[in-house]
Amino acid sequence: MTPEQWQKVEAVLQEAIDRPPQDRASFLDAACAGDRQLLAEATSLINAYNEAGDFIEQPAISQDAHILVGSDIADKIGHEIGPYTIVKRLGGGGMGEVYLAQDARLDRLVALKILPAYFASDDARLRRFQREAKAVSALNHPNILTIYEVGEAAGIRYIATEFIDGATIRQLVAKQELSLDEILDTAEQICSALVAAHVAGIVHRDIKPENIMRRADGLVKILDFGIAKLMEPETPGYQGEAQPGNGTHTEAGLLLGTTGYMSPEQARGLPVDERTDIWSLGVVVYEMLAQRLPFAGATRMDTIVAILHRDPAPLSEVAGDQYNVSPLLEQTINRCLRKEMTDRLGSANELLGELRRVREQLNNETYLTGSAVKLSRPEAHAVSKPAARSLPRRYSGPLLVLVMVLVAAIAGSILYRRSETAEPASAALSAGAATATSGKLYSQMNEAEQLDFVDQQEQRISMMMGDRPVKLNGEAVRVIKSYVDRYADRDRASADLGSASINDVYARARPYVPLIARSFAARKVPIIIGIYLPVVESAYRNCYENTIGAKGLFQFLPQTADHYGVARQDMCDVEKMTPAAAHYIADSMAELGEDSQSMTLVLLSYNRGAESVRNNLRQLRDAENYERNFWTLFAHRDELDDAFRNEGAHYVPSFFAAAIIGENPQNFGLPQPPLSRLAE
Amino acid sequence: MLESRPMMTVNADDLTGLLIEWGQGDKAALDRLTPLVYDEIRRIAHRYVQREREGQTLQTTALVNEAYLRLAGSANIAWQNRAHFYAVTAQVMRRILIDHARRRQYVKHGGETERVPFEVAISEVGLMSQPRAAELLALDEALEELARLDSRKSRVVELRYFGGLSLEETAKVLEVSPMTVRRDWRAAKAWLYKAVKSE
Repeated sequence: MTPEQWQKVEAVLQEAIDRPPQDRASFLDAACAGDRQLLAEATSLINAYNEAGDFIEQPAISQDAHILVGSDIADKIGHEIGPYTIVKRLGGGGMGEVYLAQDARLDRLVALKILPAYFASDDARLRRFQREAKAVSALNHPNILTIYEVGEAAGIRYIATEFIDGATIRQLVAKQELSLDEILDTAEQICSALVAAHVAGIVHRDIKPENIMRRADGLVKILDFGIAKLMEPETPGYQGEAQPGNGTHTEAGLLLGTTGYMSPEQARGLPVDERTDIWSLGVVVYEMLAQRLPFAGATRMDTIVAILHRDPAPLSEVAGDQYNVSPLLEQTINRCLRKEMTDRLGSANELLGELRRVREQLNNETYLTGSAVKLSRPEAHAVSKPAARSLPRRYSGPLLVLVMVLVAAIAGSILYRRSETAEPASAALSAGAATATSGKLYSQMNEAEQLDFVDQQEQRISMMMGDRPVKLNGEAVRVIKSYVDRYADRDRASADLGSASINDVYARARPYVPLIARSFAARKVPIIIGIYLPVVESAYRNCYENTIGAKGLFQFLPQTADHYGVARQDMCDVEKMTPAAAHYIADSMAELGEDSQSMTLVLLSYNRGAESVRNNLRQLRDAENYERNFWTLFAHRDELDDAFRNEGAHYVPSFFAAAIIGENPQNFGLPQPPLSRLAE
Repeated sequence: MLESRPMMTVNADDLTGLLIEWGQGDKAALDRLTPLVYDEIRRIAHRYVQREREGQTLQTTALVNEAYLRLAGSANIAWQNRAHFYAVTAQVMRRILIDHARRRQYVKHGGETERVPFEVAISEVGLMSQPRAAELLALDEALEELARLDSRKSRVVELRYFGGLSLEETAKVLEVSPMTVRRDWRAAKAWLYKAVKSE
């Protein structure tokens, strides 16, 4: 059409519109007499005019204001959303744009996710999400991203979460930099998060490489718990048999690009439970190993067909050359990928057990010199030289510490078993165990319950150390609690606590416990000390990092090591350091004489030397409520020297915190048994 | 809150100058105006969403006016400048929405087979529904065609639909009678509806 033709058409059109509808047709016939093209054009425009209704009658902003609100907040760097100041755009992440932001109130960095308008305007749905987010956050699991807040400011809905400085598994898979051990480690960490979430009745529903981050230090975090559910269409049909791939799913944006990780039940629109996460994790691990998806097709429908009906190519055939996929690993992943939920591995816990078996087997095969020796209980062999040497290097440092501490602990416990406190101690012990197994998560207790729990557990651990039961004052309990909280929060990367998550620390400590137990028993030092000193000290940094020796592990100065017969170059050799540490602690006990009946003093002396502890005690001899134990020192710390205030006063509460968590892993959502049990 | 952020550093003379230059057909002036207006548009949208949630209906024009006052810093300004500002706002609004719609369509077409664009989908265009994006793109294309046939009609639609102006305001901006705008509007609407539906 030319402008001139349009002018003609428009003239006819305008005149027709001015007439009553019933007259328009006859008017057009007359006005366009002979001009068929004009008639056709005008008629179709009249029809369009009649049909158009409120087409473009409402300004675009009434429909798209949400988009304008959410768009290009990257331009808003330096600007504020609620209490947050945008620092930069992070981009990666789940549903919604993600920014690095500064929280002015708490002076911390957060990841701020701006929610798409799709559901930001659905209050009821958002409230449900908020509830779920809180529940997941309350798990305080090191492998689950902590959600700080779901909020709104100036029409923008946002979720503020902890900020993780790491790469997504998607990025890591693309770079192909993960070793088999790291892949398995990642899978274990994801699994351990799923265990905790599933226990709390929360299914992730969207486990995929984009939703999993791994920091440089190996800590893995699952992002976006609950968000998948938030994004699901809430049509009634969703409860029943829905058509796969219908428009609703696509509209929700949820499945765009994530089809490959969907479980068969998700693909069919059936209700899902935790086994959906197991499937998706299986897909992720498969992809990490094979660099390709187990179920894929050219189109979304093809992918769904593959998910529902095809068997994946055997992992051992498609896995990267650098990965030696054992039959056990292949079988484990296959058991994640069974089409029927009932055929699948039934729980994340079960999967975690399988993954650990795979990893133990791998470690044994890789490192044991005599590979003919197959061990069903690897711990039992940790004492033998080849086994200990075989441990991956990164473990050797922490191990060391661990070992040494353990040695000290055992001896003590044996020593004190003979003492008169033995009976009440064991009674309290079992009472403590009973409390601990009541199973309420620490993070779900109110503060009074937490304090009570800490108090009970402190006494229990004191007695395991051979101490007389000492009723702590409220301040001491609160201080221990603050350390418990910090450990449980450890993934929030407070530098002085080290960067490994508490879950990592305990998982790594595990194989060394028997070794530590043996050495410490030989010196009659309570094993409980042996196990937890390294946890306290551990930033779990590599032993060689520190020029003064194994600080951060067993805190031996080179001259001390020398005195105990450990050459400087052997300070990271667990087998040499463990007995030396036990010996050192035993000597401190001897030096402290009667005071050593308070093992908390021995603990302190480990860090500061028995002489210094004695000096402190001497200083307080005339103090009120004087008792020769750490807690007296602690209560009067203001009167003591800086050395005590700076270090000693933190050391023991920190130890108790580590022991409380390690002895009550179930209360903290950790998957391993109490560490001291592994020493039995 | 957003209100506490730094004020924009543009003075009234700059804005007026740019508006005049643009009114005289200087395309470069529009490029310099756009970022200023862009930011104001998002503010307008925030307010819009907020009021909407509070159950109030809101005249877009009121917000655009307010934006203009914020930018120009004074109520004492020539009407003509304000009219230019409306026109710029409508144009920028259109540009923003169409950009969004394009990215949304890109994701729709590229997103399934290559997974990388999913990140794009999430980070940039998760907000617009696919049918809405398609509708906007079709409308934009039809408006282009209409501009070729009858540029005033296309401007009427731009001012009213993207700029949120009323018939009367549109008439003022275009310096024609409200009746002309009304007639332009109904013809344009029929023409656009037909064009969009026949896609």
